[in-house]
Amino acid sequence: MLEESNKISRRQILQWAGAGLVVNVAGTLLYDPIGRISMPVNEWMGALLLSPQPTPDFPISAIEPDKLIVNSYRGVPSIDPATFKLKISGAVTNPVSLDLATIHQMPLISMVTRLVCVEGWAAIVQWGGVRLRDLLTLAQPLPTAKYVYFKSADGYYESWDLASSVHPQTLLAYQMNGQDLPAENGAPLRLAAPIKLGYKQSKWVTEVVVTSELLPKRGYWEDLGYEWFGGL
Amino acid sequence: MSTIVKKSPLGQPSIVKIFHWVNLISLFGMITSGLQIYNANPVFGGREGIHIPWVVTLGGWLAGGRNWHFAMMWVYGLNLLAYGLYIFWTKRWRDRFVATGDLKALQASSNSKRRNYAWHRIVYTSIIPILVLAIASGLSMYQPVQFYWLASLFGDWQTLRTAHFMTVPLVLLFTFLHSSLALGVGEGKIATAFLKLKNSN
Repeated sequence: MLEESNKISRRQILQWAGAGLVVNVAGTLLYDPIGRISMPVNEWMGALLLSPQPTPDFPISAIEPDKLIVNSYRGVPSIDPATFKLKISGAVTNPVSLDLATIHQMPLISMVTRLVCVEGWAAIVQWGGVRLRDLLTLAQPLPTAKYVYFKSADGYYESWDLASSVHPQTLLAYQMNGQDLPAENGAPLRLAAPIKLGYKQSKWVTEVVVTSELLPKRGYWEDLGYEWFGGL
Repeated sequence: MSTIVKKSPLGQPSIVKIFHWVNLISLFGMITSGLQIYNANPVFGGREGIHIPWVVTLGGWLAGGRNWHFAMMWVYGLNLLAYGLYIFWTKRWRDRFVATGDLKALQASSNSKRRNYAWHRIVYTSIIPILVLAIASGLSMYQPVQFYWLASLFGDWQTLRTAHFMTVPLVLLFTFLHSSLALGVGEGKIATAFLKLKNSN
């Protein structure tokens, strides 16, 4: 009697373990179709929630330099700041190509915001740079403009919705934590914005292309499976 | 015998059983996919920290875990909202959650079944703050900028992450206590009443 009940419980344990494995494997196989259903809803929700108002700054004393982890996918590209030009083109009436001296003369915006990584960590950082909005104004986007693409010197690529791109806290930054932006953090220019996850904030940005359509290649990590909107 | 079980006051409407099952399954999905996300950068110790074994994670990698987590949150959240409206609408909240009678019973009653039932209702009621904590801390991490007023209630980011993670052991502890008590009260009739979708005649 006792032996029999032991056998049943052993069988039950095996059944539970088997069911668990099936669920685990199915979870990996099905994540993509699940995302195809849920991501459009979540992206719509993210766009709806996005406030055009700036989020409150943290005090400068709150910065956490030791918490900022350096992530890149191909290492640090070498860029000569003397010959560097930022190109803004696409669906604009006035394509521009700006050197760093010109960009440094534009209004400098400083903000202390939290950078949140998709991996789960976060760091409060002070950023200094120009508003992307101000740069786009120079190029004068066409009324059909809906998306902004960012190409980086290391081959990384990203695309953003226009509303997030013209947010008052979306910067092309060249200062970090009170100093010149270090090369490993994206010098000479990188995207910095509290409203997007870290993978949306391209480093070493060399080209900004305004488009009216979302192109098939939407972003390095997005093309591998991450959500495109990535709002916070 | 079966008619007695069917007419028992413990018999639950199908809608309650559906709420219960959807909650159970979606919470299971939230926990396993949440542990997958956790592994990208463990709450305790960062990248070199304590990782969760892959067998209890869902999604295969970070993007997969996030897809499941942010799909399942709708099922979980909407089910909970529907349940909340239901208990409010049917006035069920009046007699399902812990009441002063339960506390009196624990102090005074020598009836072990009554005492068991009081414990059952106390534990059952505890899931409400646990689920509210899960949602508040989850929303704070999901939209820390748009819901900055909510996120700021949790202090710094590490505290927020820890609070959200704590919902996992709390839910597991709850599940253990709640199911033990449900199986114990009325010789398992409560458990049967809430879990069996079809009455066995």
